[in-house]
Parts: sequence; structure tokens; C-alpha cells
Amino acid sequence: MELKYYIIRRLLVLIPTLLGLLLLTFILLDALPKSFLIEQFVNHKLPIPAQNLEKQQAITTLGLNLSPPEQFLIYVNNLIHGNWGFMYPNSEGYGSYYSGPVLAGIMEYFPVTLEIAIFAVIFSIVIAIPLGTYIGSKPNSVSDQVGRVFSLSGYAMPTFFLALVLQIAINPYFPSFISGQGYPSYTHLSWIKSISGTEVSTPTHMLVFDSLLHGDFSLAAVAFGHLVLPVLALSYGFLAGLLRFIRAGMVDASNQEYVKTARAKGVPEKQVLRKHVRKNALLPSITVFGLVFSGLLGGAVVIEEVYDLNGLGRFGLSTVSGGYIQFFGILGTTLFFGIVLVMANLIVDVLYALMDPRIRY
Amino acid sequence: MITQEEIKTEQGKVPYIEVKNLVTRFFTSKGIVKALENVSFKIYPGEVYGLVGESGCGKSVTSTSIMDLIPDPPGRILDGEIFIDNFNILSDLKSLAKIKVRSETDVKIKRNKSAIKRHNFILSKIRGNKISMIFQEPFLALNPTISIGKQISEVILLHNIIGMADSIIKRETMKTTDVDELLEQLAEINDYSMRKKIINQWTRNFGIPDLEASITSLLDHVTDQKYVAEQIAHMIEENQREINIDRIKEIRDYYTIERKIFELTLNQIQFERTGEIKKAQEAKAKIRAYKAMSKKKYFKLRLEMRFFSKRVLAIFHKEARRRVLELLTLVNLAGPEVVIDEYPHELSGGMQQRAMIAMALASNPKMLIADEPTTALDVTTQAQILELIGELNKVMGMSVLFITHDLAVIAEMCNKVGVMYAGNIVEETTTEEIFNDPKHPYTVGLMNSLPRADKKREKELKFETIPGNVPNLITPPPGCRFHPRCKFAMDICSLKKPKLTEVSENHKVACFLYSNESEDDVA
Ligand SMILES: Nc1ncnc2c1ncn2[C@@H]1O[C@H](COP(=O)(O)OP(=O)(O)OP(=O)(O)O)[C@@H](O)[C@H]1O
Ligand code: SF4
Ligand SMILES: [Mg+2]
Repeated sequence: MELKYYIIRRLLVLIPTLLGLLLLTFILLDALPKSFLIEQFVNHKLPIPAQNLEKQQAITTLGLNLSPPEQFLIYVNNLIHGNWGFMYPNSEGYGSYYSGPVLAGIMEYFPVTLEIAIFAVIFSIVIAIPLGTYIGSKPNSVSDQVGRVFSLSGYAMPTFFLALVLQIAINPYFPSFISGQGYPSYTHLSWIKSISGTEVSTPTHMLVFDSLLHGDFSLAAVAFGHLVLPVLALSYGFLAGLLRFIRAGMVDASNQEYVKTARAKGVPEKQVLRKHVRKNALLPSITVFGLVFSGLLGGAVVIEEVYDLNGLGRFGLSTVSGGYIQFFGILGTTLFFGIVLVMANLIVDVLYALMDPRIRY
Repeated sequence: MITQEEIKTEQGKVPYIEVKNLVTRFFTSKGIVKALENVSFKIYPGEVYGLVGESGCGKSVTSTSIMDLIPDPPGRILDGEIFIDNFNILSDLKSLAKIKVRSETDVKIKRNKSAIKRHNFILSKIRGNKISMIFQEPFLALNPTISIGKQISEVILLHNIIGMADSIIKRETMKTTDVDELLEQLAEINDYSMRKKIINQWTRNFGIPDLEASITSLLDHVTDQKYVAEQIAHMIEENQREINIDRIKEIRDYYTIERKIFELTLNQIQFERTGEIKKAQEAKAKIRAYKAMSKKKYFKLRLEMRFFSKRVLAIFHKEARRRVLELLTLVNLAGPEVVIDEYPHELSGGMQQRAMIAMALASNPKMLIADEPTTALDVTTQAQILELIGELNKVMGMSVLFITHDLAVIAEMCNKVGVMYAGNIVEETTTEEIFNDPKHPYTVGLMNSLPRADKKREKELKFETIPGNVPNLITPPPGCRFHPRCKFAMDICSLKKPKLTEVSENHKVACFLYSNESEDDVA
């Protein structure tokens, strides 16, 4: 019961948070030079007066002649109605490879990022919890020192570097792990088309999950194989962060009075760790989860470029590369990443409330 | 409570706890903290022993040493014997670790992992079972993420599975003849309180205390014996659950073997200690045989317990919950049905301490260590908790080691008092004596430094503080550790360490004013 109200309250708090996010992105938008944007509406082959006319038209269509508050309201209104702007094809023929409505683009590219993020998070948690419990229960032992080196190098190593090293080191032996070549394409798969033969049936838009849902295990295996390296590269920093926090939590919790109480009750050593120390050690780690997760999304941008994955990170990167700035693309990606982070934090908070009886109310 | 007479005749009794020449040190980066130096005392069954002294004198270290809960690192018990119910938990002390002291700050400790494992196994069966402990700050001592009920039932599930299995089997296999027996017994008795007592005993015996009230009222209001018998049988039947008795018997037998292994391990250690190698080896062989047997016979059960212990022991969890409710009622917690599912932060300090006490009582230990259990509580709650502990001592005959720095509490609670100073017990006697005739200069100082409600001294009420501070235990003063602060210090005091010696009946003092005996002479 209490948990339900807690979640409702957290959802209400989401509204001002999102408004803040919108305001922030709007200010970003306002800070960008507008001439670039306007230029995109101008056909440079026309005579100058005609170009000027087009410029004037662009200013009015974009609403740049209005006052900032008015612009903000229009901006919010457009966003709510799914109008996140448009990415224009480049007249010079290079730069961004996506053109069309920004929101549709994000929806097309995001599942790839989500897919590797999901696997990276699962992988990191599965490794970090037992490992962190172990080294945290033996502070300053040899295994703890090894763990320390492991996580510090995880902090220090740039994601792209690890990605490249993995690519170079593993490519000769396991070519199928490399994502660039041979990544199965959606369009060639029979099951993707529905019975009528036209509609595409991809409920999750994530190849591994879609193929699993359709019972195509061999495809799932192939798709997963291609994700192994990006997930490993992406996980390292995240895993390192989690490991440090769980270890610190373990050391901290081991020194608490209630652990002494547990021993005084006659609880065997293993059970002390499992039942009394670990749960209390994981709690603080949950709170930092949201924070570390943002680092993971940042890493995705680089990873996707290295492994040639068409994810949202790459999408975002393409909006600024190639000498051509896609204003709405930048904004849309920023806003979307922001929303994802806010949601991740919401989940983390709810999870925390579930685990810790002291929260709620 | 033991009367003064009884204490005088205690020579013939066996102490429940005996601490002998306990030495505990902390190896810190600043140097070796000599926290306990040859501490010895005994606590007899049913006795309340008070340990009093200034902050930092080693009271908590003493109590944690008895439970062998000294945090390691940095601390270690270096020497001594601690007998709990006749078993020396420090029997294998020497084999646990090798300690090389190169200098005050350079100490190498090499721990013997397999010896420590066996040691921990034994202690886990003793702690919370034969002896339990409550702490100064109940809020910190309770696990914030586990409900009160679960924290208490954990103790029961750890130590009382066999007992619970027996009472479950008894309850589930009850027959109508059992009811007839009760009725026969009651037929001859008219005295109301006597009847009540019999019903209480009977229900307890069959593990159905929750039916006591309804059975009593039925017997009170209905005279038709046949109808009553039918009704009771019906009630019992309703109370019985669909339980696989064979399964419970299997679990009981499994735990019985585990207990055998534990007892044999104790024997083995004792024989090792006394040098009876052959007997030790015999015990060891038996242990191995039992272990192999248990592994083979209960292979499936062990596997299930390992992965689904909650489900395998579900009945025991339920049974433990009943017992927790009883315990919560016993410690006077209002609304036990609510409290049982609450978390520590939802309770007040006094309630938390009551919950702690319930937890300490969960497996009926004969000894309770209370380390300043009321310091963190307000005055009224303090009085209630003290009363509760006193009552438990009287009703259940539980011994208590009561640690405090409040002499008034000592006067109220304890039979016997040990006064500690800088890691030594400097005076030990009955509560009466310590107030009427304190001998050690430190004890006298303590008495004078406290405001007293004692009429005799009220007129000359003065707060004499003891000059100076508690000494640093890394470099304690040589000889009598109290000599830098003592008004009566003599030359010998800084040279030799006085020994705790009996100077009059039941009165031991470690001071050269009363006896010439020194610890250094013996060594
Ligand atoms: N973990 C530890 N590490 C180092 N020294 C310790 C540790 N625990 C206790 N000591 C030392 O042991 C000595 C005795 O401490 P102890 O806690 O037993 O005092 P106490 O008599 O219980 O005092 P209080 O009334 O304040 O509880 C102190 O000098 C303290 O510095
Ligand atoms: S031995 Fe000496 S210094 Fe110590 S208390 Fe007695 S008189 Fe004082
Ligand atoms: Mg203390």
C-alpha cells in the first residue's frame, strides 16, 4: 500500500523534473546560432533576393521572430504532439545519414542502444554482486587488491580504447563477434513479415529479443554473438563503478553493530555475510546505480561508432558530424537521453524503496 | 536473586562462566593497546554480576571477549581461559594464530584457517544458545532491513529445530486419549488456579499454548464432560495442519546428528587440550563417520536445505513465529502481533531494547550479558528495562553479567560487583560490601565521585573527583596501574603489580595496602 503511494508521488515529482529538462534543452536551443538553421531552408542556387525571401519565410515558420516565452510554449506543445523537429537531407550530399522526423529516427535507433545497455547492465550486476561481496568480505586481501586494480583501470580506461583493444585482440579468433560485418538484417527475415507479407513484426525492435520471441534461436545466437564485444566494452566502466561501491558497502556494513549482534546470536559466518551484511551493502550501491548508468549511456555513443552499430549514440553523433549541424537532431537526442536517465533514476528509487524498509512514506 | 547466604556457600557450586587470566590486546598502528591484563572472575548460575568502572577501562572488551567477538583485526585474545558451562572456548586459542611481535607497531599475525573454521563452528553453537548478549544501543544493534520477528526467529531456527520438531510431532500426533487424561486429571481438582495451571502445563506440553484460553473457557462454562471432550478434540484437530510427520522426523534426526557432531567436536578439543591423543583421535574418527553417514543418508535433504531452506523449514518458520509472539509478550512489548512485522526504525528505543532482550532469550540461554543496556534510553524506560532484566533473572534463573558505570544501577540489580580499572579487576565483592566497605582506593574514589541517595553519607555529600585521567593503555603505568592517581601510593606500587587476593570473606582486592601479594611474584 505504502509503496503504491510512494510510486505515485515519485511519478508526480517527475513532472517538474521533465519540465526542467525541457527548459534546459530549450535554453540550449536558444543558445545555438540560428543562421545555420536558417541556411538549411535556403536554396543557394536562387538569386540573392529570393534567398532573402526564403530566409524571412524560414524565420516565421520556425517562430524565431517570437519572444522566448512564446517560443518555449510552442516548443513544449510541439514536443507533446510528437513533433520533435525534422532532420533535413544535406544539400551537399554528405553528413547525416538519416533524414526525416527526429522522433521517428530516435525510435528507430534507440532499440539498438537499449539492447546493449540491457545486456551490459545485466552482465555487470551478475558479475559485480558476487565479486563485490567476496572482495568486500576480505578487505585488503590479495583478491581485494586485484579487484582494486581491476576497477581502477575500469575507471581510467576510455571506453573507445577498450573497444578497440577488444576488437583487435579478439577479431582474429572469433570473427563472428565483430558487429560490422554479417550483422543479420531485419529486412531479409521471413518471420519479420506478418502473414499478409507487408507488415513488419518486431515487437521489441531488438533483434535478440525479437528472434527469441519468434523462436528463431539460431538467429538469436548470431545476433547475441555480435553483441558480445560491445557489451563487454560497455560494461567495464559500469562494472568497475558498481564493484567499488559494493565493496565499500560491504566493508562499511561489516563494521556495523548489527553484524556483531548476528554473530552474538550464533549465526554462522557465511550466513552473516549473506543475510546481514550483503543486503545492507547493496542498498547504497542501488542509489549510485542511476549515476553510473549515465556513464554507460555516454559510453554507448563511442561503442556504437567503434562497432558499427546503428544506435542512438551514433545517431546523436551524426547530428553534429560531417560539418553539418542538425539542430533538432541534437535537441531530440539530448532530450531523449535526459528522459531515459530520469526514468532510470525513477526505477532505481522504486527499487530502493522496495529493498529498504526505512524508505517509503 | 541469590541471597547473601547463598553466595557464602557458593564454594560447592559450579560457576556457569569462569574467566581466568584473560589477556586481550589490540594491535593498532599506534601501538599495542593492552586492554585486558589478567582478568579473572566467575559467575554462578542465577547470579547477577555487575562490572563497573570508568569509560575505557575494558568492560566492553571483557564482555566481547567472553563471546569471542573481539574484532580481528585489530584485536586478539592472547591468553586465558573462558569456561562457558564447563567448556573452555579458548581451548584451541594457541592453534588459531601465530603472533610475532617485533616491536610495538610491527606485529605479524599468521592465522590458521582450518583451526579458525572449527573454532567458529563451535562458537556459533554456543553464542545465542548458551549465552547471549544485549547491547548499549539497540538501534544500532538491530538489523535495519530485517523485520523484528525475523531477527528473533532466526535465533530459534538456528538453535531450536530439534525442540520445535518434538513439539510439532507431539501436537500433530495427539490422540483423544490425551484429552481424556486431561479431563481425568481435572475431575478431582476444584481449585481454580490449580486447574488453570494444569491446563497451562498440558497445552504447553503439547505445543498448543494458543488453545489454552479457549479450552479454559470451555471447561469453565460447560459441564457435560463428553461434549467437552469432543469439542477439545475438534479444536485440536482443527489446529493440526496437514503435515508430513515423516518429513519432520527426518529433519529432526538430521539435526540430531549435527548436534552429535558438535558434541563430539567439543570432546575432541577437550581431549586434545588434556593431551589424551588417543581419545581425541577416537572422537575425530567418530565425527568423520557421522559426517559421512549424514552426507549419505540425508543427501537429498541437505541439497534441498541448501537451496530451498525456506520451503523445507516452512513449518519451523511458522512454529518459530508462534514462539516469537510468546517472547514479545514475555518482554512486555505492547501489540506483539504488530511489532513482529515491524522494522527496528518503527520502534522506540525502549521497545527496541525489549526486542533485543526477546532475541537474547529466544533459545533459553542460561546467561545474559548486558553491556550498558540502558545508557541510550531515557530514565523511565531505563527503569522498566532494568526491572525486566531483574525479573527474568528471578523467574527464569538466568545469570546476568551486567555492565554499567552507574553505581546506583549496580546497587539495584547486582549480587556481586567487580570494579575494573585500566584493564584489571581491582576489587570484587558482594554489592553490600562494596557500598559499606569499599577497600581499593579507586573504588573509594568512585563512591565519592557519585552523588548518593544513601542517608548515612548525605550529610557529608561531596563530589571528590579522582585526580588525573584514565591511563593510555598503549603505555600503561608500570606496577599498579592506578598509582599515578592514587593518594596512598607507596614505593612498591610503581614497581610491582598487586594481585587480586581475598582479604576478607568474599572480598577480593588488588592493592598493596591490604596484601603484599603481587602478580609478578608468581611469574
Ligand atoms: N577496536 C578497537 N581497536 C583498538 N582499541 C580498542 C578497540 N576496542 C576497544 N579498544 C580499547 O580498549 C580499551 C577498553 O575499551 P572498552 O570499550 O572495553 O571500554 P569500556 O570500559 O567499555 O568503556 P565505556 O564505558 O566507554 O563503554 C580502550 O582503551 C579502547 O581504546
Ligand atoms: S597498589 Fe598502591 S597505587 Fe595501587 S591502589 Fe593500592 S595503594 Fe594505590
Ligand atoms: Mg563499553
